[in-house]
Amino acid sequence: MFYTITEQVVNGIVSGSVYAIVAVGMTMIFGVLRAINFAHGEYYMLGTFGAWFAIDYFDLPYPVALVIGVIATAVIAVVVGNFVMQRIVGAPAEAGVLATLGVALILQNTVILLFGGSYKFFSGGYIEPVSVFGFTLAEQRILIIIVGLVTFVGLELMVTYSRMGKAMRAVSQNIECCAVVGIDVRHIALWTFIIGACLAALSGVLTAPVNVSVYGGMGELITFKTLPIIIMGGLGNVRGTFVAAMILGIAESLVATYVGLQFRDTVGFATLMLVLMWRPHGLFSAQARF
Amino acid sequence: MTPAELTAATTGRDLRVPFGVALVALACAAPLFLGNYPLHAMIIALIFLLPAHGLNLLLGYTGLLSLAQAAFFGIGAYTSALLAVHFGTPFYVNFLAAGLMAGAIALPLGIPALRLRATSFVMCTLGFVIIGQAIAKNWITLTRGDMGLAAIPKPWFALGPASFTVSGTVGFYYLVLAIAAIATLVAYLIVRSPAGRNMIAIRENETLAESVGIPTWHYKLVVFMISAAFAGLGGSLYAHYLTVVSPLTFQMYYSTTMLIIVLGGGAGTISGVIFGSLLFVGLTEALRVAPELRMIAYGFFLLGLVFWFPSGFAPLIGRFWSFLERRK
Repeated sequence: MFYTITEQVVNGIVSGSVYAIVAVGMTMIFGVLRAINFAHGEYYMLGTFGAWFAIDYFDLPYPVALVIGVIATAVIAVVVGNFVMQRIVGAPAEAGVLATLGVALILQNTVILLFGGSYKFFSGGYIEPVSVFGFTLAEQRILIIIVGLVTFVGLELMVTYSRMGKAMRAVSQNIECCAVVGIDVRHIALWTFIIGACLAALSGVLTAPVNVSVYGGMGELITFKTLPIIIMGGLGNVRGTFVAAMILGIAESLVATYVGLQFRDTVGFATLMLVLMWRPHGLFSAQARF
Repeated sequence: MTPAELTAATTGRDLRVPFGVALVALACAAPLFLGNYPLHAMIIALIFLLPAHGLNLLLGYTGLLSLAQAAFFGIGAYTSALLAVHFGTPFYVNFLAAGLMAGAIALPLGIPALRLRATSFVMCTLGFVIIGQAIAKNWITLTRGDMGLAAIPKPWFALGPASFTVSGTVGFYYLVLAIAAIATLVAYLIVRSPAGRNMIAIRENETLAESVGIPTWHYKLVVFMISAAFAGLGGSLYAHYLTVVSPLTFQMYYSTTMLIIVLGGGAGTISGVIFGSLLFVGLTEALRVAPELRMIAYGFFLLGLVFWFPSGFAPLIGRFWSFLERRK
């Protein structure tokens, strides 16, 4: 009994890390662009498809495929960032929702059109089980946890100390003042968006060996899972997002085991509504920033 | 008075009345010259007009962006279907019950949701759709889960001892046309009433509206419920038309569709929403190739809307209009 709970918590931390890597990009994009990115899960999907393509068509090893997946997504993110995301800066909230919904439809259906809508088998990754502290885990899951931690620490350092990170924080506080003191807001917005999209892609490639199947509609599910996380974490709040992602990952895996697998995908929004009734601005924000 | 009415009053020429009459006449005569498939598309457009009117009251007039229309659409569809399948009640009972049910469920959902600020409110309304779908999938004793409810009877009416069934595409077209016309009239009356002006005041500046004594909280809650009721009525028609409902009725797709109709036509105008639903059908018809290509086109359509026509396509008609009137 105890063993099962602990095992489920560990599994929850693994999926929490996956959500965290995706959600942290999304929340940074929100902080800078003030737009909920409904297409964020699609970059997760694009990364996975890029890696799957490299493995399936060219027989490349997994680490190379990972790099290819992320780079392919970055290229697409540069295009989307230049033509769509930069123009959202300063636009009303509806504009952001509609434009990113449009991008999601375009990306998702283009991939389905090119590769077909069927499920594909992802064959790369490190799926050998190993024993850690008495738990049996696939190597890939350990890799996911490590990458999640590295991402978190890396982003914290970047946002606190680097020029780019400081500029990002400044833009998320006051766009007009940034423009006045000479920060190139559009440039910062573009880079934040590209970093966010690459993180989503990275998360996608890391998860693919665990989930095994790859399909065009997979991004939408991830979008719907990360949306409640970034709201619960307090929009634009990197640390809050990490905690919220872990909570959701663990809650999902416990609900899947003890309540029923079919309720797993509802946990996010159900938790979100309960949290919002109690704290309308998210778990970690004292007052509304947006 | 609107500029057009002013022109009419001073020069005795208002093109809107003859145009409106012509449009109604054209709609009534449509089955004479439209084939079965275009008529089916028109039926879908008129069904979608109801939730779109609801969303327009909420988004266009009160300024609240909601993605919950699909949830109330689904609630209406299931209410109507369950009544028809289990109790064999006549159509008008199912139809009204669907609207009432959706409106009633909107009350407990609206109270916590409307306390939230813009972005959180959008997410919360999206949550209603996701959770609605999960309930439809998992409450198997009531909804039969993924199998859905099939063999929903075509709408039938009972007046005393006599009863008749609306079957066939043409009959259904006239039924939906009549309901859509009534719904449009209701929406128009709401918007033109003092309450409608208060809604616009809330959209323009909520704090200011509150300060001049408009009970903004009650307004938002009631409009949310009315908008849900409109969606529920649309869902009922959809269930009786397709004769099947499944958890897929609770789908983000329908919320996106309603957004495209309202914002594409022009939020905050009644004629814009009618135009929007026709535009949507036109778009769907023009893109009958592959479903993926259609979705991609919707995506580009949304981007075009945001960046080039932020107030929808209805203002274009307005411009065309004044152009016509100046030439006369």
